[in-house]
Amino acid sequence: MQDLVEILILPLIGAGTITAFKGIMPRRLPGIWASVLVAVSFVVSVLADRKLSHLAASHRVITGVLWNWVTGFGPAIHFRLYLDPLSAVWLLIITGVGALIHIYSIGYMHDDPGEGRYFAYLNFFIFSMLLLVLAGNLAILLIGWALVGLASYFLIGFWYERPSAVAAAKKAFVMNTLGDVGILLGLALLYVHYHGIGYQHLFRIFDNARPGSAFFEWSAFLLYLGAMAKSAQFPLHMWLADAMEGPTPVSALIHAATMVTAGVYLMTRLYPLLRLAPFTHQLIGAIGAFTAIFAASIAFFQQDIKKVLAYSTLSQLGYMFLAVGVGAYTAGVFHFMTHAFFKATLFLAAGSVIHALSGEQDLGQMGGLWRKMPWTMASFLVATLAIAGIPPFAGYFSKEAILGQAYNSGHYVLWGVGVFTAGMTSYYMFRLFFLTFFGKPRNQKLYEHAHEAPLVMTIPVVILGVFSVIGGFFGGWLNRWLSPAFHQYRGALTAPLEHGPVFGTVLTVGLAVVAFFVAYVLYIVRQTAPRAGTAVPPGLWMLKAWGMDAAWTWVAVNPLKWLGDAMLTVERGILAAVVGLADGIQAWASDLAPIQTGYVRRYALSIMVGVVALLAYYLIRIGFIS
Amino acid sequence: MFLVWLLAVPLAGAIATLLASAKGAKVVAAITSFVALVGYAGLLFVNRAGVNWPWISAWGVRFHLEADGLGLFLLGLNAVLFVVAILASSEEMGRVYYFWLLLLEFSVAGLFAAVDLFVFYVFWEVLLIPVFFLLTQWSGARGKAAALKWLIMNLVGSFFLLVGIVAVAVIHHQNGGAFTFEISALSGMTLPAGAATWLFVAFLVAFWIKAPLWPLHGWMPDAYGESPAPVTALISGVLSKAGIYGILRVMMPLFLPQFRQFQLVLLILAAIGLLYGALAALRQNDMKMVTAYGSLSHMAMMALGIFSLTEVGILGTTYYMVAHGLMVGGLFIVLGLLESRTGTRTIQDMAGLNKSAPRLAAYFLFFVLGALGLPGLPGFVGEYMIIQGLIQSQVVFAVVAGFVLVVAAWYMLRVFQAVMQGPAKGSAIRDLLARQVAWLVPLAGLVVFIGLWPAGITSHAAPSLYHVTHFLAGKGGGQ
Repeated sequence: MQDLVEILILPLIGAGTITAFKGIMPRRLPGIWASVLVAVSFVVSVLADRKLSHLAASHRVITGVLWNWVTGFGPAIHFRLYLDPLSAVWLLIITGVGALIHIYSIGYMHDDPGEGRYFAYLNFFIFSMLLLVLAGNLAILLIGWALVGLASYFLIGFWYERPSAVAAAKKAFVMNTLGDVGILLGLALLYVHYHGIGYQHLFRIFDNARPGSAFFEWSAFLLYLGAMAKSAQFPLHMWLADAMEGPTPVSALIHAATMVTAGVYLMTRLYPLLRLAPFTHQLIGAIGAFTAIFAASIAFFQQDIKKVLAYSTLSQLGYMFLAVGVGAYTAGVFHFMTHAFFKATLFLAAGSVIHALSGEQDLGQMGGLWRKMPWTMASFLVATLAIAGIPPFAGYFSKEAILGQAYNSGHYVLWGVGVFTAGMTSYYMFRLFFLTFFGKPRNQKLYEHAHEAPLVMTIPVVILGVFSVIGGFFGGWLNRWLSPAFHQYRGALTAPLEHGPVFGTVLTVGLAVVAFFVAYVLYIVRQTAPRAGTAVPPGLWMLKAWGMDAAWTWVAVNPLKWLGDAMLTVERGILAAVVGLADGIQAWASDLAPIQTGYVRRYALSIMVGVVALLAYYLIRIGFIS
Repeated sequence: MFLVWLLAVPLAGAIATLLASAKGAKVVAAITSFVALVGYAGLLFVNRAGVNWPWISAWGVRFHLEADGLGLFLLGLNAVLFVVAILASSEEMGRVYYFWLLLLEFSVAGLFAAVDLFVFYVFWEVLLIPVFFLLTQWSGARGKAAALKWLIMNLVGSFFLLVGIVAVAVIHHQNGGAFTFEISALSGMTLPAGAATWLFVAFLVAFWIKAPLWPLHGWMPDAYGESPAPVTALISGVLSKAGIYGILRVMMPLFLPQFRQFQLVLLILAAIGLLYGALAALRQNDMKMVTAYGSLSHMAMMALGIFSLTEVGILGTTYYMVAHGLMVGGLFIVLGLLESRTGTRTIQDMAGLNKSAPRLAAYFLFFVLGALGLPGLPGFVGEYMIIQGLIQSQVVFAVVAGFVLVVAAWYMLRVFQAVMQGPAKGSAIRDLLARQVAWLVPLAGLVVFIGLWPAGITSHAAPSLYHVTHFLAGKGGGQ
């Protein structure tokens, strides 16, 4: 229990001390201090996980109450921490990948005047995310959930003088508030019915319940709404693309590796509930698959290196929800883990590129950079191979596990969408890779000045790159680690990880290889320009993300503004009525009272007269004066 | 006797300010409010005994004050917010301003402690006067109009309340009871069928106006808009609670059948107010008005908690009153600090102020996040309990409340971002002074503390709510 508190408190201390003392800290110190704290938190996490592994496989839980959070109605809601194999996996990724990204940021942010503020936010994010996964009930989870949203808001809007960053931050916050409200309603619903919201308390009840009632569907759906917003599932996905306004290491940590997977965590955590809500469960899978293919199509024609990666994140999150939807929870967690490795590599490598090009993100200005940045290119390449699902890189194994279980459990449509999307992924990722690192430099001046990133940035990228290569081999370990947890209650597939049919694997990999060649021919052999194909539909529509922003504006934003204007019209009426009341009383009073010595006295007097009359009326009515 | 301390100290301090020099009045007032706060600490931690003195024996009126869980934390809110408001006020205001402020603290303390209806009514009337003069003398160009609206609407409400109180006492006497205004003696009494509804409405109108709740909030925009920031903070932070508190303290024990009978109407009215305030806030361009209409919406949230007629909803409202008071009070005061630096309240006239005033921006954001109900801060806890109460009684209103939380995030961030972020516009402003930070830090710390440990309030408030809520048993009130 004590180690859980330590894990949590270390980054919080960092956020606090840096905020308080950033003015007097020497340069670089905030970054080093913040990195050290997260690294220590990682070490304590490893030790805590070891302690957990020494417990009997069926009782791997470390939990404790810090204090009574709310009492006074029904059973108390505790401030409870809770570590089990599932949160243990998240713990390692958050602190491990988090520490690497902190270190990388020391280089990336070294000439930004807001360096101290940046690391305070980053540490605050780690704290919030750890609170989210260590929470022992849904209320404390929701606090972590909202605080990661706040950290994300801070960091998207980090360069707060840029109007686009400010707008993106607000969009992210408001959309996530919608999700928070979903969780709030869902957990209140569960509390009302089951007098508690602790995981163990709820799961024991769920285990004996029969599936299919509307109550379960509603509570599962409301909680899913939160996951949908946080993990940017269609149609609550646009904020994530805009979130790329934040510094690139933030995109790697928050908007790729950790925070956006919180939805996957929540849904995986609640697998006993999903068993009881078959409709919502299917819906999660369907929306996941749709998000995967939908986002992949948008990535096809993007012009901004980070936008391509953002949509690829959306698409990969879709895969994770697909896994949740078919009950393949271990596969979903597996893909979360490999995705954290390869997507963090991609974003950090992209960050090195952007850094080398003095902030340029447009693919039209890149090209040929492999000569200048060989290490970055190599890392980017292995991560691209991983996300494209080429064996034996990490993504291949986890994607294979998801698709295999989708097929084996009879979800053929979801499987088909997943397979096809894998091909699309390979195409747009290699397009990105070629446009960035190969071909002729499209901006000679930027190219001349480009240089490999300093070691403090390159080393974390290379480490993550190595994990993108070998991450797939953790599958067996993950399998053994998680299967007791997923067998504790009913609801998960019985075989944690399994292979699909051989033809499926061949088809998936084959499509990816074909897509690679298409990208090769188009962008290496023919040297197609990045903007080619975006002037007319459907390329134009794909570039514009299928107009979802406009749809939201017209369906939600503008109607609310009109309603607000309508309220202001009503308000003018109400305020006029008050003035009317005042004038009326005044007129009435001037008839009654010839002696007038001032406003207030007149009003008071006339009201008094009226009310005494009323009082008399009442008293007569109730029979007191007869 | 700490309870008497809470009343006596501000009253004595009020007189002392009149004797002080013009410049010294603020110091006297600040010390007074701080001594009162110390008295509150004594009340909280040492001795909560009340007083029960005979007053007008012919009418059975007793000067009876108690600090039970219902009023205990509102007394604390009162004590805390007056310290902050006085410290946030300028020395230039003069001694009479501080005299009225302390008189207001005295009357509000009395109101939250009174358990005799007559005493309650006396304090209810007394507090109109300081606010009236604060609005006429120390407010903006339309201060006089604001003061008149405040007085007219609240006098209408007061006289309704008077009618109601007298009638209730009389009926109780007619039913064979002693002639008394003691709330605990009157509670649960049977009212004649015809009169009950009318009396219910009479009480409700008075409290509805004071809160204010839609559509009886006509006095609010001018009063909030014209008054100096510390006074706005007090009206919205403390005085508005008097209305909600009245419903809980006075009406719940007397009119439970009527609450049940009209529950749906009340819920609908409150829900309209909830939406109305939030949507109106969305379209305001005056940052103080955004907060004012947002606060109107929050008052409706508290009303919803009560009208859910569930233990958890009512407890949520009790907690939310304190939380909202601290946060909206802090927010109005920060807005005042901002306005004094920029000379404007129109959000389009400001931008990018974070650059020159990062600390001011940080406190602004803190109270904005509190007001929009960020989980972790106390507003969320209150909203959670209220929404749970609504789920237990009428689930559709829980959905409306949830929706409004999203709109709240939108309108609050809109103000913050317009003012503080984007490319800097106009000249740089001065950041917070060290002495301003010195009282903002404890206020923010208190907000964080009650958000981290809501049980500190709810576990004390719940037993006192028992006499209110035990009537509810049997109608979804069990949990």
